[in-house]
Amino acid sequence: MLKSKLCQLLGIEYPIIQGGMAHVADGKLAAAVSAGGGLGLIGAGNAPGDWVREQIRVAASLTDKPFGVNIMLLSPFVKEVAQVVAEEKVRVVTTGAGNPSRYMESWKAAGIFVIPVVPSVSMTKLVVRAGADAVIAEGGESGGHVGELTTMVLVPQVCDVAGVPVIAAGGIADGRGLAAAFMLGACAAQIGTRFLSAYECGIHPLYKEKILAATDIATITTGKRLGHPVRSLKSPFSRAFYKAEYSDMSDEDLEAMGVGALALAVREGDWQRGSFLAGQSAGMVKKEQPAAEIIREICEEAEPLLKGAGAWVE
Amino acid sequence: MVFDAIKKLIVEFNDSDPDAITLETTFKDLGIDSLDTAELLINLEETVGKEIELDEEVTTVGDLVAFVEKKLKE
Ligand SMILES: Cc1cc2nc3c(=O)[nH]c(=O)nc-3n(C[C@H](O)[C@H](O)[C@H](O)COP(=O)(O)O)c2cc1C
Repeated sequence: MLKSKLCQLLGIEYPIIQGGMAHVADGKLAAAVSAGGGLGLIGAGNAPGDWVREQIRVAASLTDKPFGVNIMLLSPFVKEVAQVVAEEKVRVVTTGAGNPSRYMESWKAAGIFVIPVVPSVSMTKLVVRAGADAVIAEGGESGGHVGELTTMVLVPQVCDVAGVPVIAAGGIADGRGLAAAFMLGACAAQIGTRFLSAYECGIHPLYKEKILAATDIATITTGKRLGHPVRSLKSPFSRAFYKAEYSDMSDEDLEAMGVGALALAVREGDWQRGSFLAGQSAGMVKKEQPAAEIIREICEEAEPLLKGAGAWVE
Repeated sequence: MVFDAIKKLIVEFNDSDPDAITLETTFKDLGIDSLDTAELLINLEETVGKEIELDEEVTTVGDLVAFVEKKLKE
């Protein structure tokens, strides 16, 4: 049995958070992860408040374990979603793309445990000062929107300044990664890409197929020029985007090119036009399994590694 | 005063040409993204000796100057 401060704080069994993936992580996936002893998150992405409320109720109807919602701070619906999570008294909120300071007061009043995703040391300082209960240090190996730093260098530097529990994310897909995250100073891992292969993950079968077939070099980051790079599988769409990025296409046109592409991948499995977000760890995802089994497998693999760590010392 | 402090921090930060930084210059033109802004802000707090909660979008150097001046008056 792994021991982790985050498990104690949240009342969960395993130190694993399933990333709140836009268009992917609905109430069903979040509930399956939470029922399996981890912490499941609903990905609010750019969805309106009503959808988020509905998914919170779906998750609550499937499990009485704690779960959370990931809020993308650049969403056009961020204000109403921020209110919905407070009204529904969700146990945990994670945030992406910025500093959630302006919502902190209302979330704290609702008893919510707030965990911003941080891509740098300065952002860590700012969100902790604003009242973050923990932080997720997410390295650029991860799928979706990515920062420049790798998990290996970001996590220890965030741990040095955070003063609150740190969760490592980006590139973790098995027990070795989880054990390494502990060694870097984190007390849990947030995992996205591996959960794409969960039975309870409702993405298009072709998306899953492509993840299972992915190799170590199957992903690419695009959109650096726009200031918010994204990691996805190499595909006709991401290759075309990459080319366009280094052409004389305007930023506006380039931005427009990406709109709706993730939804096409998730719902239609459109290999030509879809954006199949995935992390570098896609190459480590080998089979479709229940979410609970993924969690158990990772933790059971990490345990002997951590116990055996003494072998390095005389 | 605030403008000069910010200008100095930007120059130290990425070797921008100080003469090219005006109130109208955008952070994008200076190659400064939101993460860089977070770091600039922390450094600026050390200079002015006060915590500054950046809860507005800032596009130009002038936006940041106005924002910081407002916060310093509060
Ligand atoms: C398809 C997909 C969509 C994602 N969407 C979001 C999102 O909306 N908000 C967010 O904070 N993180 C998002 N992420 C990042 C995950 O929450 C998580 O931090 C990341 O996947 C961890 O790295 P890994 O992919 O190497 O496991 C997404 C990741 C993927 C693969």
